[in-house]
Amino acid sequence: MTAEPRVRSLDDPEILVHSPAAIIDAVPPYPPRTEREAEFYTLADGEMFINLGPQHPSTHGVLRVVLKLDGERVVDLDPVLGYLHRGVEKICENGDWHHAISNCDPLEYIASMFSEAMPVLVAEKLLDLDVPRRAEYIRVLAWELNRISSHALFIGWLALDLGGLTPILYGFIERDEIVEMLAALTGQKLLFNYLRIGGVNGDLNHEFLSRLGDWMGHAAKRIEDQMRLMNENEIFVGRTRGLGVLTRETALRTCVTGPPLRATGVPYDVRRAHPYSVYPELEFDIPTRTEGDSYARYLLHLEEIRQSIHIIDQVLHQMPDGPVMAKLPRLLRVPPGRAWVAFESPRGQYGAYGISDGTDQPFRLRIHDPSYFTLQAVGELVPGHLVADTMAIMASLDPIMGGIDK
Amino acid sequence: MEVTRTGTPGATAVAEAADAAVATPIVVPNTQWLPADPSAYGGGRPPTITHLAELELQEKGDNGRWGALDIIPTKADYLLDYLRLNSLWPLLSGLACCAMEMMSAATSINDMDRFNMFPFRASPRQADVLIVAGTLTTKMAGPLIRLWEQMPEPKWCVAMGDCTCSGGRYKRSYATVQGIDRVMPVDVYVPGCPPRPEGLIYGMMKLQQLILERRGQWNDRRVGPSVPAGV
Repeated sequence: MTAEPRVRSLDDPEILVHSPAAIIDAVPPYPPRTEREAEFYTLADGEMFINLGPQHPSTHGVLRVVLKLDGERVVDLDPVLGYLHRGVEKICENGDWHHAISNCDPLEYIASMFSEAMPVLVAEKLLDLDVPRRAEYIRVLAWELNRISSHALFIGWLALDLGGLTPILYGFIERDEIVEMLAALTGQKLLFNYLRIGGVNGDLNHEFLSRLGDWMGHAAKRIEDQMRLMNENEIFVGRTRGLGVLTRETALRTCVTGPPLRATGVPYDVRRAHPYSVYPELEFDIPTRTEGDSYARYLLHLEEIRQSIHIIDQVLHQMPDGPVMAKLPRLLRVPPGRAWVAFESPRGQYGAYGISDGTDQPFRLRIHDPSYFTLQAVGELVPGHLVADTMAIMASLDPIMGGIDK
Repeated sequence: MEVTRTGTPGATAVAEAADAAVATPIVVPNTQWLPADPSAYGGGRPPTITHLAELELQEKGDNGRWGALDIIPTKADYLLDYLRLNSLWPLLSGLACCAMEMMSAATSINDMDRFNMFPFRASPRQADVLIVAGTLTTKMAGPLIRLWEQMPEPKWCVAMGDCTCSGGRYKRSYATVQGIDRVMPVDVYVPGCPPRPEGLIYGMMKLQQLILERRGQWNDRRVGPSVPAGV
């Protein structure tokens, strides 16, 4: 068999014909399939469509939103998902349980320490495993650090989508310090692959602890700087206060969890409602606010960073000695059964529903991502607002496309 | 014009002013001609000292540097490439995880701006470099090709991360493009899952080097997997 060079030029007309670039239009090229589609894609007098995305700096990834506009006011919108669908759930079924940890890593790529916990917690529940206490404390430490880095980015992005460049620079300083610290612990800066079924990959090391000590010294001051920078900023307050008000009923109906739900006054936090790991032994508050608007969500994130620092402080004081891994066979056969686990990620309740058939591979791993449900609320919040406020509202809900599209 | 061998090349003869009150134009005779006789001036042999700038530096020391740079003998292509590589404007198109590291490279701690590659543009019409940061899925491939086609020439493409270089951890996924070189030409591959910001900056510096060395040869790049069939 002769090897044919499979080299094609961009000038080749064939590649242009087959590329779907020609059909990315606001209106889909097929006739409407549902009543909702037929209603949405019919324009009234004076209305127009605008395609927001999939490449748009404010959609936080590759979300496409078709906006129906009347002048500058959004009448209706239709989110189009799937631009980042990588088939993670299917890939997880093809590897064993240990592979699933690293395959789930890039789902929530801002807080990977949470998405990689899904197969770990499911397998531990099915195995009915006792995780060493030191490993649990290390997990909580890593989770809370990652939560802070994620919230720091949230604040920066919210301001960036409103047109302010400065806060994202501060947010990334905070985030880079924390992920460098976690890189010293885990060896990876973004996709940590640190949690293991039955413990964690390695014990705390000197470099991590010295970086953590440095950071703890100025963590509280950073928040005060942040508050001084943005809390009273007239433009920021004017563009977030009273905008995108999520009511308590809408939030509960659309299954919104996490900070957007707590900003409506519902004190639901999985760490407190359905305690897991060593959270019952730690003392922390569930901050809530009642306004439910973008500004309330921003303030809530600041308060959650404070609580996370408080948790880290307690973890460092209560950390017991001991092993960091349970004794497990190298070939891990998880007993057959079904398990649902839920835990609190920076964006809300992360859930996983795993089915094992007794082999070393997961039969099914269903991923329940909070961003997906948060995105449902966008359809309720945005209509009636201006186009420019669409960004502010979507940024304040903080969806991450990696978890939504899986 | 009459050319004689006795005339001193380069010397200028300034006409005298007739009246101080009436400004007469200064007449500078043209001495920058080519000799009609090819054997004139030593038969066109290069002078002993070819680097006039260095000669000037020898005499003037440090102050001579700026004077020496008044005239740079060059070609337009060289000059344009030099300007292009020193203001690489990337397109702000983060697809997935690597976008975090791309933004980290652009912000305070790893400041890409130091190496002349900062202003991330949101519009493809203002961008020079497409940094494909993150997994390219089959659904996103069409819009990404369209972005690439919307960018004005000359343009360059950096594949950031294992997913875009070869498929990486999604090599066997049903939904991803196994390396973006199947759909668009790639200049620099930055492997890693994800590469550190320093890695991206190194890749962009390699791109600058590439632009300088290619000398306008950017338009004959090909699309296709970089491995032969059957591998």
